[in-house]
Amino acid sequence: MGHSIGYNVKKALVYIALVVLALACMLPFALMLVNATRTGAEISRSFTFIPGHALKENWNILFDYFNIFVGMRNSLLVAVPATALGAYFSALTAYGLAFYKFKGNKVIFGAILVFMMIPGQLSLIGFYQLCTKLHLVNSYIPLIVPAIAAPGTVFFLRQYTLSALPPSLIEAARIDGAPELYSFHRIVLPILSPGIATMAIMGFIGNWNNYLLPMIILTKNEKFTLPVMMATLRASIDVARNQGATYLAVAISVVPILLVFVFFSKYIISSISAGAVKG
Amino acid sequence: MKMKKLVSGLLVGAMTLSLVACGSADSGAASTGSTASTDTASSSASASTDTAAEATTPSGDKLVIWTLAKDLEDFGARYQEQTGVTVETVVIEPANYPTKVQTAIMGGETEPDIIVGEPQMLGDFFENGFFANLDELGAKDFEGQIVDYVWKVGQDADGVQRAISYQITPAGIYYRRDIAQEVFGTDDPEAIGAKFADYPTILTTAQELKDAGYRIFASDSEINYFSGDSAWVVNDTLNVDDARFAYMDLVCDLYQKDLTAYANQWSTPWYQAMSGEVPILTAEIQNYEDDSVNVWDAEQFAEATKDLEKTEVFAFGLPSWGVLTMRDNVGDTAGKWGVCAGPAYGFGGGTYIGISNLSERKELAWDFVKFCTLNEETADWWIEHSQGDTVSLISALDKHAEDANETYGGEHLYSFWLEQAKGIDYSKVTKYDTAIGDAWGAAISSIKTGQSTKEDALALFYDTVASTYPELTVNR
Repeated sequence: MGHSIGYNVKKALVYIALVVLALACMLPFALMLVNATRTGAEISRSFTFIPGHALKENWNILFDYFNIFVGMRNSLLVAVPATALGAYFSALTAYGLAFYKFKGNKVIFGAILVFMMIPGQLSLIGFYQLCTKLHLVNSYIPLIVPAIAAPGTVFFLRQYTLSALPPSLIEAARIDGAPELYSFHRIVLPILSPGIATMAIMGFIGNWNNYLLPMIILTKNEKFTLPVMMATLRASIDVARNQGATYLAVAISVVPILLVFVFFSKYIISSISAGAVKG
Repeated sequence: MKMKKLVSGLLVGAMTLSLVACGSADSGAASTGSTASTDTASSSASASTDTAAEATTPSGDKLVIWTLAKDLEDFGARYQEQTGVTVETVVIEPANYPTKVQTAIMGGETEPDIIVGEPQMLGDFFENGFFANLDELGAKDFEGQIVDYVWKVGQDADGVQRAISYQITPAGIYYRRDIAQEVFGTDDPEAIGAKFADYPTILTTAQELKDAGYRIFASDSEINYFSGDSAWVVNDTLNVDDARFAYMDLVCDLYQKDLTAYANQWSTPWYQAMSGEVPILTAEIQNYEDDSVNVWDAEQFAEATKDLEKTEVFAFGLPSWGVLTMRDNVGDTAGKWGVCAGPAYGFGGGTYIGISNLSERKELAWDFVKFCTLNEETADWWIEHSQGDTVSLISALDKHAEDANETYGGEHLYSFWLEQAKGIDYSKVTKYDTAIGDAWGAAISSIKTGQSTKEDALALFYDTVASTYPELTVNR
């Protein structure tokens, strides 16, 4: 029996609001899927949730432009190592900044904060020249290696380390004679894994969707990552005709992100409280 | 241990996906095997295009094209078929094409041999010296074979030829022949052209059509392409011609006197108007003051507008590439359309092909440029292949002058576009046009909707120009 009418009304209202919000979030996805089955002319003429019949046609237009699976493979070749390296080295840096006392610690941390605020696009031409000199144009190295330096991730993980990692754990390991790297790998990494997973998912999405740098650095069709390939759908005389194919490409390209998210969302959920508890 | 799971999860995911890639990709399967870090000519040749694989006797020559229009991929494939030169075409999205070319060439990249540009990009490209001098390669010999305005667009400020386009993009008025017959008693392009001869005449025509139950345009932006009859800048001074004010008055009148269907260009009702009846919206709906009608949703739109008066739209104003847009959207009204001249000459868009200044294969690249733009056989093929694009080679346009286009009631469009293109005076185009044109458009729309008075809007326009281009003299 328990709850009063007021409580039930409130609860119903909250649920209605949540359902509305959930629908609002899902509508664009549904629309994307529906539009992937309609022709460009239909899409520009009207708007509906009833699927069309042009899936095959869109597929053919899409594959006439490029092979989306090659793009996916290329994007994975960039995004996976970049994410893994970025997550590992950011955790290492964050741990160092949080737990070791040395001269210049604060200066380095300050510098990292400053670098967070500089947009990377500024140094584009210089970066390209550097890559030309090092013969790295049209290779994935300039896309992967710089991802190691991720100031935002370091900042987040440093704060997370301070709140989640009790110093006594490390001290105990030292007393037992564990080398520093060993204790990082066996003690720090597992404890930080919710935070790392959160940043890794963010990093993966960021790398997966990264457009500007691959567009500048890569100059061969078969090396293009997915976003660069998909953008070429807009290079037609009549852009409207490719709209269905564009939707189809986007629909296919979000699949890996969804997979990554499904696999690791439990880490994200367990780390939503990250930073909330001050250890 | 969780980390291990995470890493193995990532790896499994990567492997599954690459398996998917191998399974479904027939042409990609070959290149999936080779690791992406190998940077060899052989793997790139096999994967770049289908035609690349069946390259006839590889003569060792290679040409790299960076383009923003997919068209050039077809041109490249055909060139490779005919000459055996390996052509590698890289298509880059138009919005970011300037960034890509600028970064690469300023960074000393020698890879692209052929680079391209649209008219509004060319000014900057030329000033920065990205495009090689085509006169040194012999472009002068071909003067007069290409439609004049296109030839001029490809010249830099000193008159040096740096790029050539394979297409022309003059603007025309696309109109409904059946409505013309009913209202004006004729559907002859000459006679209808007279109805669009100047801005005051268009206003009269619009009124006549409204009295007969039609609307002249779906949107009030249709005459935009015909508004450039004078140069925006003359001798470093802002020049606002009387015709500009006439244009402004016309747009305001069309809007305020209910002479259009109040659709926005490129929105749902605008496309719908191509195939038949559309509801007449109100000014409030068009500028979103009244948001009871969602112009982007067909069903809601039909429901919300069922009580509104319906009409059919008489005309659209678009460049020659509109031939293809209209063809795809006219539906049942195919064959009932015609094309006539607008109140002034104008053009919009077009891809201009040039050679990168850092290219190490300029002679070969020049051969390719000639192949795309100056070769009659290529032009014939392109007309066929693109299903109606308008080429820039005069001899090809002459040859196809009698081609009848059935969507447009059998009109001879190629000779029409050639006539229109001949009228374009490129000396009236300046590098300031985009920014000043946008500011003028903003002024017009704030006047027509009554957001500000004419004086205020004009003052803001002059301020905008003066602050964007401090080097210009602005006489108010």
